[in-house]
Amino acid sequence: MPKRERSLQSIPRDDDRPAEPTADDLLALVARGDETAFERLYDVVSSSVFGLIRRVVRDQAQSEEVFQEVMLEVWRTATRFDPGKGSANTWILTLTHRRAVDRVRSAQAATHREDHVARLDPARPFDEVSEQVDGRIEQRQVRRCLSFLTDLQRESVVLAYYQGYSYPEVASLLGLPLGTVKTRMRDGLIRLRDCMGVTG
Amino acid sequence: MRSTSADLHTLTGAYAVNGLSDTERAMFEVHLARCDSCAVEVAELTATAARLGAAVEFAPPPHLRARVLAAAAKTRQLPPRTARLSRARNLRGAGGLLAAACLVVAVVLTVEVKSTQDSDALAQISSEYSRFSNFLSTPDVKLVSATGPDGATGTAVVSASRDELLFLSRDLPAPPSDRVYQLWLIDDHGPRPAGVLPASGSAPLMASGVADVRKVAITVEPTGGSATPTTAPMMVIALA
Repeated sequence: MPKRERSLQSIPRDDDRPAEPTADDLLALVARGDETAFERLYDVVSSSVFGLIRRVVRDQAQSEEVFQEVMLEVWRTATRFDPGKGSANTWILTLTHRRAVDRVRSAQAATHREDHVARLDPARPFDEVSEQVDGRIEQRQVRRCLSFLTDLQRESVVLAYYQGYSYPEVASLLGLPLGTVKTRMRDGLIRLRDCMGVTG
Repeated sequence: MRSTSADLHTLTGAYAVNGLSDTERAMFEVHLARCDSCAVEVAELTATAARLGAAVEFAPPPHLRARVLAAAAKTRQLPPRTARLSRARNLRGAGGLLAAACLVVAVVLTVEVKSTQDSDALAQISSEYSRFSNFLSTPDVKLVSATGPDGATGTAVVSASRDELLFLSRDLPAPPSDRVYQLWLIDDHGPRPAGVLPASGSAPLMASGVADVRKVAITVEPTGGSATPTTAPMMVIALA
């Protein structure tokens, strides 16, 4: 154990505060097999990871399964994280989203997804997000920036991201041509990026 | 049935929110590896999408913590990529290219590999890999998709500069035992045969001389294929 403690303490800290390593600091240590860093990374990111899975997958038992798979994949593949390509948070949540969507799509392939899609109310997801996105500064910013999108941009982005729909499914829900939906997704994200000041 | 045509460049948003099918994603990633401006935009839009993810946080049940940590303690981590491997990848173009192209080829060859000698299959994967990745890296490629009955999808990738077209299908129902799927290129003079889809239904076909082609179509034909279509198309993709 002393070795692990030393590696965590090596992270720069303010003189008057206990160290609060970022997800990027911790992931770099996890890549070196540091289990203590993984514990702390778990505490930093598990709510984001689980919240996103739960939002997309909905079912509690399946969400818990996917969550455990994702956290283990973070541990297993931390060695492949490249800080030059983006932040640890982005890397982890991108991985999370992909796994959540994989789960939803494989489940949907078994049932009849066309019927499923047709039953859903396109207005619902954003309303739910709006209600929930009310706490921290970051959440308020997301909510505020989403409100600057046109309705079609917002619905395209939100349906794809939070419901895990493919763009043909989004097009079907919104009654729009595929090309229009692709463009709205891109335009919407660009507008969000500018509003949030994301640099990649 | 819906179909559309779009520059691969405009797929950055759909890619960042994970809205592409596996096939499209693989094709887009091959393109991405050689398109610097796409890569920058994808990185930014992916980071933007992750902010949406972070906004719906919800604590997992507390008992999962010990379970995840215990599982990690028993799980070997992937070895890091080495400098030598990186150079090898760079020779092929860039970061995700190899994985992405392999996915395309995997999608494409899964079933064939089972029925062929291993060495033949590997040789085929290798040559198909470079053929497809080269083609998909052409700057002017356009991706056109359509969905058919029962969720089957057809994707055509067209390059005007190379005068070539690649067609890939997913999830086509198995044809009757004495029937096959046949691909047609349709221009002002009508349809001309572009090959029979392998029994697996998921292998790609490439065709050249496609400058005047307006649509591609899939019909069910007797084994061996036909000179002209004998049934109504089950899928039509308009190229423009």
